[in-house]
Amino acid sequence: MDNLHLLWGGVQTLATHPTAILLSIFGVAAGIVIGALPGLTATMGVAILLPFTFSMDPVSGLLMISGVFFGGIYGGSIPAILLRIPGTPAAAATAIDGYALAQKGQAGLALGVATISSFIGGTLSVLILIFLAPILAGFALKFSASETFALAVFGLSIIASISGDSLVKGLIAGFAGLLVASIGLDPMGGFPRFTAGYTELFTVPFIPVMIGLFAAAEVFKSMEEGELRARAMAQIGRLLPSWPQLRGLTGTLLRSSGLGAFIGAIPGAGADIAAYVSYNEARRFSRTPENFGKGEIAAISACEAGGNACTGGALMTMMTLGIPGDAVTAVMMGALVVQGLQPGPLLFTDHAELVFTLLAGMLFCYLVLLALGLGSLRFIGRVLMMPRSVLMPLVLLLCVVGAYAINNSVFDIGIMLAAGVVGYFMQRWGFPASPVVLALIMGPMAEASFRRALSLSNGSYDFLWTRPITVALLALAAVTLLLPLLRRRKGGGPGGTPEALPATAAGKE
Amino acid sequence: MELTHRSKLKLLAGLGAAAILPAGPALAQGYPRRPVELIVPFAPGGGTDLVARAFADAAKAHLERGIGVVNRTGGGGAVGLSEIMAARPDGYKIGLGTVELAMLPHMGLVRFSADDFLPVARLNAEPSAVTVKADAPWKTLGEYLEHAKANPGKIRVGNSGTGAIWHLATEALADKLGLRFNNIPYEGAAPAVTALLGGHIEAVAVSPAEVSAQVQAGQMRILGVMAEQRLEAFPDVPTFRESGTDLAIGTWRGIFVPKRTPAEVVETLRQVARRTAEEQAFRDTLKKLNLTWAYLDGPQFAEQVKAEDATFKALMTRIGLAR
Repeated sequence: MDNLHLLWGGVQTLATHPTAILLSIFGVAAGIVIGALPGLTATMGVAILLPFTFSMDPVSGLLMISGVFFGGIYGGSIPAILLRIPGTPAAAATAIDGYALAQKGQAGLALGVATISSFIGGTLSVLILIFLAPILAGFALKFSASETFALAVFGLSIIASISGDSLVKGLIAGFAGLLVASIGLDPMGGFPRFTAGYTELFTVPFIPVMIGLFAAAEVFKSMEEGELRARAMAQIGRLLPSWPQLRGLTGTLLRSSGLGAFIGAIPGAGADIAAYVSYNEARRFSRTPENFGKGEIAAISACEAGGNACTGGALMTMMTLGIPGDAVTAVMMGALVVQGLQPGPLLFTDHAELVFTLLAGMLFCYLVLLALGLGSLRFIGRVLMMPRSVLMPLVLLLCVVGAYAINNSVFDIGIMLAAGVVGYFMQRWGFPASPVVLALIMGPMAEASFRRALSLSNGSYDFLWTRPITVALLALAAVTLLLPLLRRRKGGGPGGTPEALPATAAGKE
Repeated sequence: MELTHRSKLKLLAGLGAAAILPAGPALAQGYPRRPVELIVPFAPGGGTDLVARAFADAAKAHLERGIGVVNRTGGGGAVGLSEIMAARPDGYKIGLGTVELAMLPHMGLVRFSADDFLPVARLNAEPSAVTVKADAPWKTLGEYLEHAKANPGKIRVGNSGTGAIWHLATEALADKLGLRFNNIPYEGAAPAVTALLGGHIEAVAVSPAEVSAQVQAGQMRILGVMAEQRLEAFPDVPTFRESGTDLAIGTWRGIFVPKRTPAEVVETLRQVARRTAEEQAFRDTLKKLNLTWAYLDGPQFAEQVKAEDATFKALMTRIGLAR
């Protein structure tokens, strides 16, 4: 109740602070644009804007940065849905169903659901930050290397959910991704592996690979279509989900927001992992899991709510423990310090008034995100009205620019194009691209934390079964991976492929 | 193409200068004619990037054409440092070099060596701070080291990555006193600090700024810093030297140019760096960012780089990191 009172005080302070309000609107708008452009990340946006905040008052500066952070995560979903260009790693999960829905002529609905879910996920996570921070903050500390390893294994098991038509092909793609992920500097010893002497390969150029696999592959595929028809690619369709549709998403939204805030609070785990885990859990609880991957709005909703809910979780760890969980919160922590606010356990009590003004402002930022998002969708959706013969080369151009911008590296453009060619053949032969992305995110995390856990335990493997969180996550991973196999055994009649079964079942209804 | 364009520019510039400007010794070279690119080998938002951006911002007053910051990340600094080394030595592409340029070469990972760079000015330096949890049994550095001596390999010390400066700091300490620690590498300092806070490891060796929040909150204690003098921010923390261990090791960041850069250009940059570093605004910004201002002029800085390069080589060979 005390917090509610303080929050109300924050709202009142904010209301008398037009500069802060204007700058947060600017921040959100800039963030959406930055997130939507492939290759520009929220981290970059925040880092570039940071020097400008030095001369601002604390609330204005920090809200502008928060706006960029929030907008950047949401913005990634727009090109992911419209063009299959994931602007951020988290948006690669959104792209699976978002693009499928857009191809069905319902891009508007996909964007609308993404916007509303981002808003709800983000807002709930800020509320969690406000009311549950002291309780949840310590949780991040329970995560040692073995728990992180188990989380990464759980993440990898999600390949089973995003494999689409064939689990075997999904697993093949996932293992290929793991092989690619082993390129680079060995996370523990610092030895270069499979780098062929290129310093550029010391870290896996993950975003260029992702842009290539998704977007460039799509462009190459479009070249196949013999005549370059000057037709519009797709309709936008309606923007807002209907009331029953929205009500049907309630469970997904709540679950994904909780998961996202939780995962965001764990240092080293971010929006990408949250989006995939939320996708997986949405599918697990769905009554129509067979629709996932084919344009299911619950999937889009889960990814976006989960990804955006990370913001509150990450801010919680940073503000209460003084530990930045990812690059964006690291920069934000710098911004707090610059303003004379030392993050840590004392922040909420020593600077209550300012902190709660800030938190009120964050809620406001999410309102701005909702308004800007919904307001601009009709306009943004116009992109799809462009003739394909114009749009596709533009997409390729964006891919090149995006791949270059991440590290200012021409080498990465080559990586992106190579990944695009690989992605094209993968699509052609029915191998899904998302398991590769997932493996690239989770593989290095799993390897590093496993070996770190071994170091911590002086070489003993006991951590695999003596730590409750580790055991729970590993069990969850086993269930996720084995469930499709069990389902198949139950439903596998003669002749019909298991994937065809649900479809025919749905047809009968 | 680059060349013709540049020579055309030079020609135009020369004509322009001849026509408009009175000839003077400082203007003879006409450097810089266009903005200077400052390569940062680490990602936006990190300590190195913040130093670079603060420097570029403050340098506006002293370098008419300004400095543009370009992040070239990857390979723990290897990609960006390689680019600085390979840059055309004309002063238009300079770099923010870090202690890694004296470390990476010994690991056999890169094609450059510390000799390929010419130090222009040091801007910032951070010592290694041995930090433990507030409820740890060791109240002083002496107690901690005694415990380490009695239990070789038992104390788990988190660092920001194998072969990174904080790892070497722990190894240097172990080497000096004949101790053995269990080094646990993390992806950067923040996860290591988290692990210490969660009680998963016994100590970390990172920069004081990276633990200052926890120290101020009374959750952690810095036992000692590997610095020449006590730190302004933590006046109660003794240096290793005071405690009888002659050790000063840490990171530094400064302006570097490729080896064959003309002397006049280096001289101009040196002047600019000195004036910029002495700006109150630059010092204030660093302080706000929890970074330690540590300006040192090129020649003295070069001596430091050279000495540390030799130290690291010897140390890394002994601990098996060198290749």
